[in-house]
Amino acid sequence: MRNGFLFFIGLFAALTLSWAGVALWPNWQLGLLKPFYDQNDEKAYPQRTPGIAAEGRMVYDDLGCAACHTQQVRRPDLGSDKARGWGDRQSVARDYIYDTHVELGAIRVGPDLANLGARKPAYDRDDLYKLLYAGVGAMPSYKFLFEQRVISSNRQPADDAITLYGPLAPPPGTEIVPTHRARRLVEYLLSLSQSYEYPEATPVEPAAQGKEGEKK
Amino acid sequence: MTAAPSHASQADVSEIDAVARWPLVLLLASALVWLLITGTLALVQYVQLLFPGFLAECPALSYGRVDMLLQSTLVYGWIANAGFAVGLWILSRLAGAPLRSLNWAVAGWFFWNLTVSIGLICVLFGEGTSVPWMHFPRFLYPAMVVAFGAISVPGVLAWTGRTQRPVFAAQGYAVAALFLFVWLFSAAQVMLFWAPARGVVQAVIGEWFVQGAWSLWVAPLALAAAYYLVPKITGRVLSGYNFASLGFWTLVVVGPWTGGRHLAGGPVPAWIPSVAIVAAVLLAFHYIVVALNLHGAFSRGSTALKFVAYGVAAYLLGGFVDAATALRDIAQATQLTWFTQAQGQLALLGAFSMTIFGAIYFLVPRLTNKPWPSTPLIRAHFAAAFIGTTGIVLAFAVAGFVQGHDLANASVSFADIAAHTHVWIEIAAASQAVLLVGNALLALHFASLLVIRPAATAASLLRPAPAMEASAI
Repeated sequence: MRNGFLFFIGLFAALTLSWAGVALWPNWQLGLLKPFYDQNDEKAYPQRTPGIAAEGRMVYDDLGCAACHTQQVRRPDLGSDKARGWGDRQSVARDYIYDTHVELGAIRVGPDLANLGARKPAYDRDDLYKLLYAGVGAMPSYKFLFEQRVISSNRQPADDAITLYGPLAPPPGTEIVPTHRARRLVEYLLSLSQSYEYPEATPVEPAAQGKEGEKK
Repeated sequence: MTAAPSHASQADVSEIDAVARWPLVLLLASALVWLLITGTLALVQYVQLLFPGFLAECPALSYGRVDMLLQSTLVYGWIANAGFAVGLWILSRLAGAPLRSLNWAVAGWFFWNLTVSIGLICVLFGEGTSVPWMHFPRFLYPAMVVAFGAISVPGVLAWTGRTQRPVFAAQGYAVAALFLFVWLFSAAQVMLFWAPARGVVQAVIGEWFVQGAWSLWVAPLALAAAYYLVPKITGRVLSGYNFASLGFWTLVVVGPWTGGRHLAGGPVPAWIPSVAIVAAVLLAFHYIVVALNLHGAFSRGSTALKFVAYGVAAYLLGGFVDAATALRDIAQATQLTWFTQAQGQLALLGAFSMTIFGAIYFLVPRLTNKPWPSTPLIRAHFAAAFIGTTGIVLAFAVAGFVQGHDLANASVSFADIAAHTHVWIEIAAASQAVLLVGNALLALHFASLLVIRPAATAASLLRPAPAMEASAI
């Protein structure tokens, strides 16, 4: 460290080495990962996110949903993800190749959302609107994603007005309608699906093959 | 082993400090403002965890956005400004010459805080990105790189123009922090925002960036302060100082490889977490060296030394916990829970902030040539910071174990998990309130020091510290 120039070269080399190993190498390994073409379905998986859902991802980002929700299902022998119905298989790298911005998340204050659109029983739009409007458990309500409108006498209630009962019900003659942001967010959430069985995602029996099945 | 001290470094309040006075006071003052903002936001967030309805009507302060604001103000507000001030001061002291080109630092200070403020407003109004430690819209990042570089200019010049041949460990850590973060930040923003990598590679790069920011920027600044202050305050040579350079290079070379441990079990190739786990265990060598060098921090001394001792203890404990929780069996219980929050707070509030508080109490009287107006206020701050930081870390650690235990059992609903962790979040919120009060005391104390005209200058009150940095590195 006595030689200042060598010192800077050493620092720079250490950083470059970690960059090459931790950032470039995975990029080389996964950056060219291709979709999987299924001969029977005559479709390639994963499927691209529809436009409105891609807009919804931006709502998901700017509200910071990832502060509580992960989008990564773990393999059946690691935690209770499968038992909770979050997904039948683990998430694999191929699931995310079309995501403009990956939201794996770091903490599970709420449930995992990676496979929300393919849950059984399935969520429909009205369920998700209600969850967002009313909040549940530790999840706050997002009332600002909705607007209360007067139903004028010469008009039918809106198709996507949410059905609310009890204390949450709006005053008579009004309805609660999702804003465009809420619609986009819900379309995004329903587009989240990791149900296609890629060869590398087949759950491996832990007893039979040990840790072999972790990843390709 | 002990370097022959120059006259410049012997005088305890000297011209070296007079030149740097106002630029560094500016950095410290803005750091303290950010510290209070981030503390308030943390309190808001914990209250929102307890009462989900709190501020839920206000889109700008919904939970997820508060989370982004909180992290950004903590890292780019408090840590950046305070780290610059302490790093530059240490570099000028150890170079034995006044800082040069300080107008670069002042301009950098202005643009750094301006861009951070713009970024926060963008997050408030829904332009946040949800990328950990990179929540601002991408157009701000190049400006932040330039501003960071500008503030670092006096530090790098102090290094290249140093009048003393030997290089001290504190100097090495401070220069590394100022030099490396710019490159790390640039590489990460290109691969995340300007030419985004595909799919989960983004998550891998995100972990590399956050870990690198800790190992190559935040932790080195805290270590620079600790390596400078411990011998200065205790008046004893650091033990085992010959190993300090090995400890330094272990951190710089191995540290950034440990980020991927958070991805164990996730949708990435298994070698990424595996390499990170090996690196996390290898890094134990660095922590052993730091413990060997800095155990003098735990001897009797001023309140400033107590802050540093807390910081060093938190740093060592954090390193041990990082290595332990990287192991897969333990990771299963702690991953994706509040335990990771406890680790983060132990590092940022425990190791970094406490050490830097110690440095602030040590350097401000020398920098401004005014003594601290009140010793009881310093003790009160230490008590509040001790209770607050310890409380937050312990509460989240226990909450994490409870949450991890419950998550593993599919029959426990999320409402039940929230109920089980409720009391621990309450303790964390109370501790955060105590910490915030303590930090407010520091801010008030600092403001009154600047305003009050003292009866005696610090120079007449301070005992000259022994110049005994050794030069083994």
